[in-house]
Amino acid sequence: MSATDTHIAGLGAQTTLRRKRQMKQALIWTGVLVFAAWCAHGTIIADTDWSRVGGRSGVLASIGRYMQLDLGLLPELVRPTIETFMMASVGTVLGCFFSLPVAWLGAANVTPSKTILYPVGRFLMVLSRSVHEIVWALIFVSAVGLGALPGILAIAMRSVGFISKITAEAIENIDAKPVEAIRATGGNQFQVMYYGILPQIYPVVLATIIFEWDINIRRSAVMGLVGAGGLGLLFFRQMNSFNYGGVSMVILAILMLIILGEIISHYLRKAVI
Amino acid sequence: MTEHAGRIQRSQAPKTWSRYRFPESLWRFGAVLAIIVFLGYSMAFMNVDIGLLFGALGGLLGVIGTRFYPPDIAYVLDAGYLASILDTLQMSFLGGMAGVALAIPLAWFSAWNVSPHRRVLFPLGRLGVISARAIHETIWTILFVSVLGFGMLAGVSALTMFCIGFAGKLFSDEIEAVDMGPVEAMRATGANSLQVFLFAVVPQVRVAFTGIAIYTWDVAFRAATVVGFFGGGGMGWYLKRNVQQLENLRVGAIILSIIAMVLVAEFISGWLRAAVNRAK
Repeated sequence: MSATDTHIAGLGAQTTLRRKRQMKQALIWTGVLVFAAWCAHGTIIADTDWSRVGGRSGVLASIGRYMQLDLGLLPELVRPTIETFMMASVGTVLGCFFSLPVAWLGAANVTPSKTILYPVGRFLMVLSRSVHEIVWALIFVSAVGLGALPGILAIAMRSVGFISKITAEAIENIDAKPVEAIRATGGNQFQVMYYGILPQIYPVVLATIIFEWDINIRRSAVMGLVGAGGLGLLFFRQMNSFNYGGVSMVILAILMLIILGEIISHYLRKAVI
Repeated sequence: MTEHAGRIQRSQAPKTWSRYRFPESLWRFGAVLAIIVFLGYSMAFMNVDIGLLFGALGGLLGVIGTRFYPPDIAYVLDAGYLASILDTLQMSFLGGMAGVALAIPLAWFSAWNVSPHRRVLFPLGRLGVISARAIHETIWTILFVSVLGFGMLAGVSALTMFCIGFAGKLFSDEIEAVDMGPVEAMRATGANSLQVFLFAVVPQVRVAFTGIAIYTWDVAFRAATVVGFFGGGGMGWYLKRNVQQLENLRVGAIILSIIAMVLVAEFISGWLRAAVNRAK
């Protein structure tokens, strides 16, 4: 009798708990939808000049302009495409060099000073990731002038955050025994790093670098929009001369390059792991 | 006696130890050499002066210091600019939500294990996600601006495409990693692929999807800070105006405000994701 009672009481408690959870979810969803409606009102309804968009036929006509490919642009595409690829590669390698000290500072178990330099390393990681690549490119274009160099630097700075974060985490998770063993046999600081830490982290770090390189191809394709070299510059020029067929050709070239990058990184990752 | 023992030791072990033995060491050396040669050739191809590169690193801090410091903080506290921060937030939220809503069906199509139609819908879903991902958000912005005109509508559309690419890949990876037991049980009882997705897959990935959706908003906010640079509205529009007018102190302040807002967004998204994981 009493057992059934507690059972029923338990069931009741369960139902109320469930109802509570459903209420909470409904509240969250309503909040999200109301917020979205407010956003939609602000951005789409209040801020858009619908007569300028020109209805369905206007939009279709605007899209149609992109469909007539400008095949005459093909020979001009080769050099920027190669340049974009190279900019991504050099930028990634430079980013790896920048990440080394940052990861060293930002890994809790090897950092030289936990109170001062560790937060500095962590802050540099966040800083690198929170500034968009276009903003980095703007800064470097104003600092070193036009050309491929600001693009390389921007890509390197943008890559530092991710590479050094993963590297620092890998360093924090290493097995301490090999390090101790090398210390016990009289290895110096460099030998401890080279033989004790590096072999443990390098599969993770290499995979991360390959992943970042793949993303950097995407990034280097837009560096030209703000004055660094590569396909972005050609895109910008075609857009400004209203040659929409040429714009489509540049986009196709970017797609080709990215597919190539994805294939290469797929095989590289297999070779590394 | 001692001399004899020494001779044996010498003949058994090589004098210096190295981690990689002969054929492997050659491959490694070759790979590193090839990368270095490629990098050197790239520098020559792009006309990048290596001296300038390393000189630039040293001079860079000085240049940035003299040019962007002190930032014009009063400019970013202006009402117009603060309203543009709100615009950016609205764009990123709407773009993220629309992107996630569109990414879920695409991810379902492009997950090999539960795809409703492997020969038609699977490649279509994959193509959709990959092409949305392949094109950078700034290029999407320029394209949408040229079709829809300047303003936040173009920005929201571009962010939607960006979020489809970003969230679609993470979603489909998540779906491909589900436990196939419930899926097979549903299939055995004769459920169609929509029912399998709704009742066998969704309960398993719900929490992960929520986390990914919040993260997508975070990344979309980061992208939203610059879509305005190409005509999409929001903070980027102010950035563009001041860059073109060479108002470097204002540019410095705007960049600082972008960093601050992105940090706030990152903090909020981290907190929300932790809350979702706790409520699991």
